[in-house]
Amino acid sequence: MSFDLQKILESKRSLRSKLAARPLAEKLRMLDTLRERELAIRERPVSGSAIVREVPPQSRI
Amino acid sequence: MDIKEVILTINRMLADGVVDCYAIGGAVGATFYLEPVATLDVDIFVTFRLEPGSLLISPQPIFDYLKAGGATSEGEYIVIAGWPVQFLPPGTPLVEEALREAVVSDVGGTPARVFTAEHLAAIALQTGRARDKARLLQFVEAGAIDATRFQTILARHGLVDAWHKFERQFLDDTP
Repeated sequence: MSFDLQKILESKRSLRSKLAARPLAEKLRMLDTLRERELAIRERPVSGSAIVREVPPQSRI
Repeated sequence: MDIKEVILTINRMLADGVVDCYAIGGAVGATFYLEPVATLDVDIFVTFRLEPGSLLISPQPIFDYLKAGGATSEGEYIVIAGWPVQFLPPGTPLVEEALREAVVSDVGGTPARVFTAEHLAAIALQTGRARDKARLLQFVEAGAIDATRFQTILARHGLVDAWHKFERQFLDDTP
């Protein structure tokens, strides 16, 4: 693993190509799974305490 | 939840003469050529049969057929095997052509009729929402469309200017 952006983009392209080349039946099963996950996320209630907010550091001036 | 069951159901509907012709479009259609992308529904384009004695095209025979088989309806959708499915008539000459020229793919032994990659890309360009532009970019970046065939479709349906605009907006700066 590295933080080289070019390598990261290349590995993303490679993963997408591999996924696209999978057998159709397998890709359609992935759609089933993706939809189940998306529905689960949408149905999960978001409570105030579960939200992470970034607090800016206090100024030292 | 089983999208293959949706395809089997539509094939049965075709065999039973409820529709004359169908093709899968939208994100599910794109998955036949690209990596899978999450979607919440299935778009099935169909040519509707005329009801006897009627001059109006109606999706009612489809709904009646599917409900008799246990499907339920949710607004404009009918739920088959856990998937909301929308049956759409071809609303433009481009979609009419896409439906006519759709190809049959084999999904683990089950035939599925789906729009060609070039038609899916052209429809995405014509529809033009942000998500459609993202899908069109996916097709281009994946090299999933035949450039000559795509350009011919664009020229036939008056989309050449829209394509040049898209190229300027999204592809000119590609390294």
